[in-house]
Amino acid sequence: MKIIAVFKWSRNPQDGRVGMNGTLDWRGVKMAPNDDDPAVMEVANAIVEDGEIIGLTIGDGDIAWAAARGAARTMVVTDAQTETDSSVTAAVIAAAIKRVEGVDAVIIGDSVWDYGVVSALMGQLGWPAVAGVVSAAKEQGRLRVTRKMGTASQVLEVEGPVVLAAAANREEKNAPGMKEVLFARKKPVERLTMADLGLAPAGDVSSKGTRFPDTPPARMIDGKDPVAACKELMAALRSDGVL
Amino acid sequence: MNMKSWIIIIDERRAGGMLDAAKKLGGQVTAAVVGSRALADSIAKLGFDQVLCFETAEGIPAEAYALQVAEAAKAAAPRLVLASDSSVGRMLLGSVAAKLNATMIGAVRLLAVDGESIVASRSTADGKLLEDIEVPGALAAIFDGEDVEASSTKPVPVELMPVEDPGTTMRMVETIEAEEAAGLLTAARVVGVGVGLASKDDLKLIDDLAAAMHAEKACTLPVCDDMRWFPSNRVVGSSHSQIAPELYIAVGISGQPQHMSGIRDAKVVVAVNNDPEARIFKNCDYGILGDLYKVVPELISAFKNNG
Ligand SMILES: Cc1cc2nc3c(=O)[nH]c(=O)nc-3n(C[C@H](O)[C@H](O)[C@H](O)COP(=O)(O)OP(=O)(O)OC[C@H]3O[C@@H](n4cnc5c(N)ncnc54)[C@H](O)[C@@H]3O)c2cc1C
Repeated sequence: MKIIAVFKWSRNPQDGRVGMNGTLDWRGVKMAPNDDDPAVMEVANAIVEDGEIIGLTIGDGDIAWAAARGAARTMVVTDAQTETDSSVTAAVIAAAIKRVEGVDAVIIGDSVWDYGVVSALMGQLGWPAVAGVVSAAKEQGRLRVTRKMGTASQVLEVEGPVVLAAAANREEKNAPGMKEVLFARKKPVERLTMADLGLAPAGDVSSKGTRFPDTPPARMIDGKDPVAACKELMAALRSDGVL
Repeated sequence: MNMKSWIIIIDERRAGGMLDAAKKLGGQVTAAVVGSRALADSIAKLGFDQVLCFETAEGIPAEAYALQVAEAAKAAAPRLVLASDSSVGRMLLGSVAAKLNATMIGAVRLLAVDGESIVASRSTADGKLLEDIEVPGALAAIFDGEDVEASSTKPVPVELMPVEDPGTTMRMVETIEAEEAAGLLTAARVVGVGVGLASKDDLKLIDDLAAAMHAEKACTLPVCDDMRWFPSNRVVGSSHSQIAPELYIAVGISGQPQHMSGIRDAKVVVAVNNDPEARIFKNCDYGILGDLYKVVPELISAFKNNG
């Protein structure tokens, strides 16, 4: 199979610096692979057979990340970033995907960091798409994917080309070592710009800034005197009507 | 101004919340149910202006109908389309967004109208902030706001939409039900335990608290994966179970986002932690700052006496 593995298309929301007045400062923060990106590579490696995995990423950060986990080469749209409008970010990724001929599967991390991009990409490619994918296998030439549905899991058979959003269950287990990382850096990289894709940084959507939500902060209870603390808590829970 | 909304529904989760958010914008609100007729019937009782049903065939996943739903949405030309964050709903929403050429925004908590624009407030910086985004055109949003109980005295008739056989590009092979952790998913009270508990023997303390509270027990991922004190059906969080109890007491849990997203719909969250900097204190209703080994025994007697 010819697979495009989309990785590191966003910044880690934990890395944004929150100011006293509710501002958000991203200066100096690079894009990072999200929690689910390792699952992308796991699913890709499980179904690639004698095909090829092509990494696709945007913006700054570690370009060799997918190459260190099985991608033969990597494409990067260097001047793209995660936009406020996820449809715009997805359009960049979709345009890069469309440059590659004969793609059988696109796999992207089903990231809670930004479900919007995943959803928009699925729509724009218009292929059969499944999110919440925890594993995949080729069986007699057919693609079988297992996805989470609440507490159950569902096995689907999907005919390609397909888009899969892969979801990780836990932290990456076998992260590549130094040797694989160094080797990965020697693999081919195709650097593209928005202009190469015929795209202009677009969007008539504008951010009016960030603010703290209206939710009140937690009521803190000093536990040094546990008896008094529990008494205070019970009284509060009773007035909340949960006891 | 056209403020027509479409809400894509594949199950009842957040249906009331989405209806409420869309209604506040003023226009007609249509439920586009993709699933069974029975689901459409129960949605019709919530107070939508219109309920459309794209009835899915046995063994065919709802996603296989994505293009048909998108075509119908295009004909109706809503200004706003909402779906919950379920994997099926998000995929259908993407299809509709592409057809409508709509802006897509995830993690939307609130919606408002400002002049000719919709303002979507989405959660950012790990839920620490809200970002207000002004959208002048059509908006497709993944709704993550509060769920609201909805009901109407006047159910609307369900309009069955003509659907074509989507073929066999996608088909269901089997559904594997997870072994359910007796009642955790529907429990009114839950005690969650994290790595703050020093040893397996100390689980007795958690058992006693759960018994005194009449609560179910849950845990964080490392308590299952690394410590192996609980099976995985007790793990709560983004990659495991999502629960919505009236009361959740988190004992020795730091409050990482992957855990907290599993209790987002809990009504009241209490945290017991001895680190004043623990993230969970930014994300709970009541925080007891103290050693769990001193606090939990008192909690047990307090619940025995009062709870
Ligand atoms: C892809 C992926 C998916 C994940 N999915 C999930 C998921 O679904 N669910 C989940 O839970 N996690 C999940 N995780 C893991 C998550 O990131 C955290 O690592 C985990 O939730 C932390 O668990 P914890 O709070 O028990 O441990 P820690 O973060 O170690 O926190 C322990 C806490 O106990 C406190 N403590 C210690 N001693 C005491 C004492 N004597 N009294 C009071 N407090 C004390 C400490 O101050 C600390 O805050 C996932 C991670 C990844 C990468």
